Amino acid sequence: MKRREFWLLVTPSVIVMFGFMLVPLYRTVRWSFERVEYGSPGTSVGFGNYSAALGDARLGRAVLFTLGLTVVVTAFCLVFGYVLATLVNQLGRRLRPLVLGVMLISYVLPHVVGAVAYSWLFDSNFGGIVNFVANKLSGGAFGEPLWFTEAWPNRAIVAANAVWFMLPFAMLMILAGLQGVSSETLEAAEIDGAGPLQRHLYVIIPSIRGVLGFVLLIFTMDVLRIFDSLIALSPQAVGLGNESIMLYIYNVAFREGAVNLGLGSAISVLTILLILVLLYPSIRSLVKEAQAA
Amino acid sequence: MSVQVGKAVDVTTAPLVAASTATLERRAHRGRSRRRTVAVISGLVLTATCILMVFPFLWAALSSTKPTDVAFSNPPVFRYAPTLQPYVDLWQTTNFYLYLGNTLVVAVISTLVALIIGLPCAYALSRYGGVASLVLLVLALVFRALPRFAVVLPMYEISKSLGIYDTTYALAAALIAINQPFTIWLLRNFFTEIPRELDEAAMVDGCTRFGVLRRIMIPLMGPGILTAGIFVFLFAFQEYLTAAVLTDVSAKTVPVFIATQIGQNLPLLQQASAATVLLTLPVVGIAFVAQKYLVAGLASGAVKG
Repeated sequence: MKRREFWLLVTPSVIVMFGFMLVPLYRTVRWSFERVEYGSPGTSVGFGNYSAALGDARLGRAVLFTLGLTVVVTAFCLVFGYVLATLVNQLGRRLRPLVLGVMLISYVLPHVVGAVAYSWLFDSNFGGIVNFVANKLSGGAFGEPLWFTEAWPNRAIVAANAVWFMLPFAMLMILAGLQGVSSETLEAAEIDGAGPLQRHLYVIIPSIRGVLGFVLLIFTMDVLRIFDSLIALSPQAVGLGNESIMLYIYNVAFREGAVNLGLGSAISVLTILLILVLLYPSIRSLVKEAQAA
Repeated sequence: MSVQVGKAVDVTTAPLVAASTATLERRAHRGRSRRRTVAVISGLVLTATCILMVFPFLWAALSSTKPTDVAFSNPPVFRYAPTLQPYVDLWQTTNFYLYLGNTLVVAVISTLVALIIGLPCAYALSRYGGVASLVLLVLALVFRALPRFAVVLPMYEISKSLGIYDTTYALAAALIAINQPFTIWLLRNFFTEIPRELDEAAMVDGCTRFGVLRRIMIPLMGPGILTAGIFVFLFAFQEYLTAAVLTDVSAKTVPVFIATQIGQNLPLLQQASAATVLLTLPVVGIAFVAQKYLVAGLASGAVKG
């Protein structure tokens, strides 16, 4: 393809993508060095916002909460997603679409809507069915956990909700990976006397390493950016220490009475740096792939 | 196996062979019963998972058909006279239909525009081997991973100063830009699967580059375009954060509407559950009808951005 043709074809998309994203991004970076409010020019404060952000205990808690949530949700979804994908892979032609369709529901539903529906399961003011069933089964031993006003029960439902809407993605990706595992290698391992566990550990998992790494990367980025579901599931996030990084930015730069846009922007910039570090391996492998081609 | 063994049997080894056949049979029997146990357990795990996955939605659907006074009563009521009153109220007393319309307009506009500008770009990225192509792909990857607020809060200010705040066009434009990296990555992966020889053959026959794209590639890309279209539509449909910041009253979308109903009183809450059901049903339809494309899109390395 000629150079001129390339640029003609990509220009509309590049204008939209970079025009609509780079201009705002530039503004965020500039705001991060200013004391500023919406609609009026700011005054420069140097690195003041950054030092305020790094010295803020609330941000520290938000980072800790987000990282903890990321680790728990990712680990659970990788392991259980693998188990589910293996099970779905063995299903017949008639059952499989049904199971996949059911699993896709929580993935395609808007997260905030799913989280609202989730909150009704737990809120005893709204007939919390979970408490009801758990107490029926345990003879009342389950009690009435304060799902929304106590830190750990609230963390549990936030994590459960994140697993609920992200598990299908992990399962589907791993399922797609399983299609690529060579059946000949599997047969050879079976003839050599490898049991089911050994086949999974030494044949299947190593051959879908790439997919697992990819799922890991996407999960890390997506749970780090968790926001929608907290709006519905953790109305008291600030007091409980259950603020995610995104929710913190939202609270500081958009919602709370005294909007501190500069501080919020500084945290956005810091998050971008973190994401760039996380993305570095994928970018490198992309460049390598291109050089090899 | 036993046939082959039988051929080689002579008098001295006969008892041995008989014994080993017996063990084989026993082992086969044990294997069969173990396989049955495994099948039962895996069936149970899958069933339980499926039930847990749909349960929040089912519960919302149940709540939306109960009479208002028992809809969210504790302990929950299971026997009641079903009613559709919340749906009627939702339609008559709120602007739900307006928000639903907004959501659809935003999703349709952003899907169409994203595909129209994304297709040529993705085609070029799949065929041009220069550095520029690589740089664009890497930048798109980075943009896909950006924290939303880094672009959405400035968009809020810019849209206010331009006087387009709280319009469906502004929201659609923002979503096109935000989802464009995803769109071009997904489409580019589909284009890469089409052999380049096809382009060359068509160009030898006198087709221009744009002719190749229009006459050869786009017809061949049917499934790819459909997959990308479904994903972009879903992303626009699902979007909460961008819509919450860029809209207020007149361009509000359904997810934002449902989220604002959380802290309200009972009738409003029940209307929110009705709204949840109305929003979910078409999406569930998409999940079942288009699952082939959704799975294909995910498998081709395309992921929500």
